Amino acid sequence: MKPAARRTGLVMRDLPDELIVYDLDRHQAHCLNRTAASVFRGADGTRSLDDLGLLLGDGLDRAEREAAVRMALDLLGQAHLLEGGAAHSPAPKDLSRRSALRRAGLGVALLLPAVASVLVPKPAEAAVTCITDCTSQLPGTGCNCPSNSTPPPCQNVCFPDGTCGGAGFC
Amino acid sequence: MASLRSMMPRLRHGWVSSDRIDRLAWRAGTCFDAYGVRVGVRFNDPALLEQLGPHLPPGWRPCASPEVDQIFSVWVSPRGARARTIGRVYAGGQRRALAKDLEQAFEVLESEIRQSVAAAARGRTFVHAGVVGWHGRAILVPGRSRSGKTTLVAELVKSGAVYYSDEFAVLDRRGRVHPFAKSLSIREGGCARHEVVRRPRAEDLGGSCGVKPLPVALVVLASHRPGAEWRPVTLTRGQAILEMLAHTVPARLRPEASLLALERAVARATVLRGERGEASAVAARLLEQVGESAGTSRVGAGARGTP
Repeated sequence: MKPAARRTGLVMRDLPDELIVYDLDRHQAHCLNRTAASVFRGADGTRSLDDLGLLLGDGLDRAEREAAVRMALDLLGQAHLLEGGAAHSPAPKDLSRRSALRRAGLGVALLLPAVASVLVPKPAEAAVTCITDCTSQLPGTGCNCPSNSTPPPCQNVCFPDGTCGGAGFC
Repeated sequence: MASLRSMMPRLRHGWVSSDRIDRLAWRAGTCFDAYGVRVGVRFNDPALLEQLGPHLPPGWRPCASPEVDQIFSVWVSPRGARARTIGRVYAGGQRRALAKDLEQAFEVLESEIRQSVAAAARGRTFVHAGVVGWHGRAILVPGRSRSGKTTLVAELVKSGAVYYSDEFAVLDRRGRVHPFAKSLSIREGGCARHEVVRRPRAEDLGGSCGVKPLPVALVVLASHRPGAEWRPVTLTRGQAILEMLAHTVPARLRPEASLLALERAVARATVLRGERGEASAVAARLLEQVGESAGTSRVGAGARGTP
């Protein structure tokens, strides 16, 4: 198996020990730690898992390297950063990050791959105090607040035509 | 103070207009520029134009041309009319609110204009965050409204920090943060209301407003839980950028520029995330932390930030 990471539709920023990847198609941003970034960069469709393991340095033995590569590919697949999705041999089921951490020493644990992700908000979602609406609300009652705003209730009132009257905040 | 010119705005060539709204009998309008975004506002009642000034975003300048990127419209019911809805506010062709009174209509208008500028500003990246200055460096408190951001900013100002904003951290290409408080020239008495919700002025809290752009020293991603002890974790630079992206207004529109601005902003900053209890206790610790890293640990009188 020679996995290939996505190379199109992405914006990337190299950091000293991390890689930020912005997926222009899904508007998701990912932070890859050094191990995940090494696998992502190296997965060009020509390298085998063994080859990718060699990119991780000398801190791991061969089995650990392969496990780390598989784990990284799992994470990259879940983040939609591999060509064809997660089309690779999955990591063994018992090879969760937690179980690996239990088995490994601290030095090895630091080499485990990690991918953190966030859905980037639309401009209005990031800027606005909150967005109100009147779905299922009777006229004269408070508007709905979005689930990510706290706390309800909204101070604005629903009008008979279903619009939320007020200053647009909850 | 710049003065508004009466001028009916029209969208730049190629921008989609709304015939339905354009057909209404608009009788007064004006155009201005804020952060490189050209904005037009029009009213059906010419008297309303005179009330617009205090609701414009910081740094606005009058435009010589009527061609704009965005048009906002406010239609008010005729005086004496017994209408439940007094004002209708439109952003382009979309109605954004039915307002019960003029004050509310202007609040919505102000908020809509600010958000539009935040999304489209040229050369600046707007992050939804409170900002104060301390010893020549900035403390950013990203977060959605009602996350306790304003409370923490207010406590920081009460403790002597310089007020920059409690709505947007305006980052330039170098990652420095600029003030987003209404300019002293267009309001009475300092940092007046600058968001839809009423807030105390910096002066009311014993503070002052910042003027110069500052490098970022500390980013505080704090969620409020009553009684919680402030025991934050320090984020890596990548984690910090990811967290801040969730509060970055133009992130989807200009991801490359946004990432670059965020990367530079956090390059020399400490980024903390955790739950906090009372804002006053946390504020003192945050100032102390920045003060120590700036070569002094004095907090309070005599150790205030420089506007």
